[in-house]
Amino acid sequence: MDRKLKNSIFKMLIWAAACVAIGILVFLITVLFYKGFQSISVDFLISESKNFGSEGGVFYQIIGSVLLTLCAAIISFPLSLGFAIYKSEYVKNKYLQNFTDTIIYSLNGIPSIIFGIFGLILFVNFFNTGVSWFVGGIILAIMILPTVILSSYQSINSIPNSYRENALSLGLTKWQVIKTVIFPRAISGGFTGLLLGLARAIGETAPIMFIATAFSGVTFPNGLFEPVSSLPTHILSLAQQATNPDALENAWGSSLVLILLVFSFSISAFVRRLQYSKLKY
Amino acid sequence: MSAFQNSIGRGYVVSSTYLSIAIVLVIFIVLFISSYDAFSTVGWKIFTLEWNPSKDKFGVLSMIYGTLSVTFIALLIAMPLGVLTAIFISEILPEKFRLYFKSAIELLAGIPSIIYGLIGIAFFSGWVSSLFELATGRTILTAGILLSIMVLPTIITLSEDALHNIPKKYREVSKGLGLYPFETITKTLLPIAKNDIIGAILLALGRALGETMAVMLLIGSIDRIPDPFYNFLAPGQTITSKLGREIGESAFGSLHFSALNAIGFLLLLIVITLTIITQFYFKKEDRL
Repeated sequence: MDRKLKNSIFKMLIWAAACVAIGILVFLITVLFYKGFQSISVDFLISESKNFGSEGGVFYQIIGSVLLTLCAAIISFPLSLGFAIYKSEYVKNKYLQNFTDTIIYSLNGIPSIIFGIFGLILFVNFFNTGVSWFVGGIILAIMILPTVILSSYQSINSIPNSYRENALSLGLTKWQVIKTVIFPRAISGGFTGLLLGLARAIGETAPIMFIATAFSGVTFPNGLFEPVSSLPTHILSLAQQATNPDALENAWGSSLVLILLVFSFSISAFVRRLQYSKLKY
Repeated sequence: MSAFQNSIGRGYVVSSTYLSIAIVLVIFIVLFISSYDAFSTVGWKIFTLEWNPSKDKFGVLSMIYGTLSVTFIALLIAMPLGVLTAIFISEILPEKFRLYFKSAIELLAGIPSIIYGLIGIAFFSGWVSSLFELATGRTILTAGILLSIMVLPTIITLSEDALHNIPKKYREVSKGLGLYPFETITKTLLPIAKNDIIGAILLALGRALGETMAVMLLIGSIDRIPDPFYNFLAPGQTITSKLGREIGESAFGSLHFSALNAIGFLLLLIVITLTIITQFYFKKEDRL
């Protein structure tokens, strides 16, 4: 076969693949927004769900999801900052560096359902907390640790060494250097990572479905160790009754609400990243 | 005062690091302990076909088969599609559109898996059942197709990064030698980017193995290896869908619960090994 023909066949293949990929993208976005906006209303957002979710709205599901993600954010943020600072400022040993890398990447690779099982065994059964949103928040916090750690570590790592040396030569102690030079960057990088992590955490179903949520009849929790209902698990229970058109319609509405929450987190992370990528030392 | 602050600060960063490391180790230990019962009682019989908790039979072969076949279908579709699309974005698409395109794809990667599951139930299972004239559209093939869409963004963005990072001079020299774009791409660019692209595919593989919600909703959840074994139009079961369906029903402390933990532990080992290989033997990609 001559080269010219091969070249044009290859070109066609590439265009075809790109069209398929764009087609999938357009299909997903249109379906989610079209179906979603058809079944969403103000009333849907502020009323509670009735009849196993096939009627009514998603008010308590939104509250539950927000509670879970807030809890995850509050737990994982300080932990990740500490880890990132330790890794970049204190660890000099190459093997220890590799070890911390392995830990972060392993944590990142653990399938989400495994987190759910871990929480079920350790907290719900062993510590006997029962199904609780607080436990769900802890598990989600563990799940997003790697994202926040890496993002904050990268922004600390981009600070030139001369900054640290200058600060030390002014007579600051190591912790004062960290507090004044390292910390501001660590927080700003970590916050971008936190937004990305929360975008993932708010949509996760598998880790929380056994340990943090009940499917129906749940309102505002009265204490730490009470179940909530959340958007993803609500969609799951509606998807399992997909033969009922009312349930399916509410599932599209809940999906749109969830998607908008996810996108608001991830888009603000993109914007922050874009702003800080212009930052030069 | 500052010396005091110094040690407090050090204490904070050290303890948060060791706490995080301890968490990872505890996850492994807890899963191992609670699956130990099954490993010691069932032993090698875990690699048999029949799963029947009431008769204390815990064979996981059909779930391993399901996981492997679903992943195989997903990669079979997503690999060529993803790499070709990456070539399109990096080599054909004008530079000014590149960022928009990539951001759109990254947003796609952020759609929660339960929503993919919903779309699969509402559209894909119906399409598959009417296309192949099946009684139910919840088959291994449907789950595989959906999974391929879910891992596509990972393959596209990472392979595109790899291609885009190759300096322009390689393309110019290749063009100067009179090669067609096709030859430039296959003979120059792809070999350079090969390691990174393999890394991207391994990362996608890890995700596909561990994906739960969408697969659970679409695979049909029947513990059986279809006959013949390449008949992907039959319902099946993956490790993750088994866990998602049954762990809530099994009593804590029972052999059933322990057996479920055992397959979870196997999955964990496989995925972690893959992740570590990806991160250390191929170029480190800082993106998550």
